[in-house]
Amino acid sequence: MNTLNRRQFLKLAGALSALAAVPRAVGAATTAPRVVVVGGGFGGATLAKYVRLWGGNVQVTLVDANPSHVSCILSNLVVTGGLSMNRITLGFDSLKTKYGIAVLQGRALAIDAPGNTLTVSTATGNRILPYDHLVLSPGIDFAPAAGNWNPNLTPHAWQAGPQTTLLKNQLASMGVADTFVMTVPKAPYRCPPGPYERACVVADYLKRKGRTGAKVVVLDANPGITAEPEAFSYAFNVTYGGMIEYVPNAVVQSVDSATRSIVTSARTVNKAKVLNYIPNQRAGAIAAGLPVNGSGFVPVDPLTYGVAGYPNIHVIGDACAVPASDGKAVPKSGHMANSEAKVCADAIVRSFSGQAPDTNIATSSACFSPITNKTASWLSANFIYGDIFDATGNVKGKGMHRVDTGEAAHNMIDGDSYQDMFTWADSLFADSFN
Amino acid sequence: MNFLHPARAALAAAALLLTALPASAGPGRLLAAQCAQCHGTNGAGPGFESIAGKSASSLFHELLDMKYRPVEGIMDRQARGYTDEQLRLIADYLATQPGNGGD
Repeated sequence: MNTLNRRQFLKLAGALSALAAVPRAVGAATTAPRVVVVGGGFGGATLAKYVRLWGGNVQVTLVDANPSHVSCILSNLVVTGGLSMNRITLGFDSLKTKYGIAVLQGRALAIDAPGNTLTVSTATGNRILPYDHLVLSPGIDFAPAAGNWNPNLTPHAWQAGPQTTLLKNQLASMGVADTFVMTVPKAPYRCPPGPYERACVVADYLKRKGRTGAKVVVLDANPGITAEPEAFSYAFNVTYGGMIEYVPNAVVQSVDSATRSIVTSARTVNKAKVLNYIPNQRAGAIAAGLPVNGSGFVPVDPLTYGVAGYPNIHVIGDACAVPASDGKAVPKSGHMANSEAKVCADAIVRSFSGQAPDTNIATSSACFSPITNKTASWLSANFIYGDIFDATGNVKGKGMHRVDTGEAAHNMIDGDSYQDMFTWADSLFADSFN
Repeated sequence: MNFLHPARAALAAAALLLTALPASAGPGRLLAAQCAQCHGTNGAGPGFESIAGKSASSLFHELLDMKYRPVEGIMDRQARGYTDEQLRLIADYLATQPGNGGD
């Protein structure tokens, strides 16, 4: 990119000397810098909002395929009928009216990196959006197993919306002794505690609705519970003892959605009443054209969320892979996507005034998980920029080092935490979308 | 990633000349933005306890207390996620922000 930059520089330098004498509406280089954001979930919404909050005169366009975002956070409570879909549907109106963000409904099709444009397919045809910085927050895509997988028959409900409703209806149709089978994807995947939370609230629902002979089978591709092991072990063994069966090391080999059957390395289940197959995951399609790691996620610079070789393209949220210490990965969560968006927004805003990115940075995740319809647990993880370490404790580079993590102790899994869950979610919703 | 290549620097110079600059970022602004997921944008809610507009020293001492006491709840964990100096920057920034119903 050196020659291109030199040429751009010369062009800009010329424009700059001319501009010193003319009003700002005249020259092309006087227009406000343009930031285009793909994906209106927690990452993209927060990025758009904070670039406008912190960046002054910056044009921000947010592209999303849907007219509003349906939150995965709290969506397990929509599956059980505890909350309405409306409760987790987050509109873009405040982003438009309060922060002056242009929202374009459409699907991001292609990035022209040398040309600095994004092509978006909309209801009225393709639109080409020029950008100075492009931020991709597309969330996850699925890497399904062999077999005949049809998510319209066996919902994953790991992207909230119609999938959530489908799983809700299937759960409601279960009889008194039916079996609900679900999978836990191989890590890394969106929302580490989410599958275990789902097993709990599904079991709680079945219990409360008098389906006393019903079973929940959890087929986990990982060797053990990947998040809040104490809380969920207790829930599986005691709270729902005899009802939830947890099967570790169950790597999915094939799925047949038509018969709701699944073959794993540890267990085969034929004709489950409900098969909630949650496939392994990778970066959302638009980001997958960028360099990806072995898990299918895009490695990023932890100071800017920039992508190596693409100086003005950034990836945040579930789609990115942040350099971290071995065994201390940065979790993929809505809370973390919001956190990363602020670091990325700050770096972009600084770049517009020639400043280097801040290095005194921290990111965080926190969440509450319902265990029953009256109690919840919580999980917390914090990261600081600096040295990161390999498994033997040697420094392996710079990144976001996890300095603290912990789950709710048994005596903290209670009704207060259940109420705190809504305070947390509503605050996160507002900080991201309002 | 290089945010300081010549084209950007020229753009930046253009921006300096031609546009109103945003309020300058205090050193604690980005760190304090990590509180907003649970305490609202700029600490002004909605969310858990209001944290904007309190005195910097009382915020700082509360944060230190939470960081070093045995864990009683999730905020004691979150306070462990920052150096003492980062907690001071966060407290200093939040003290300058209008709280709920304040201002």
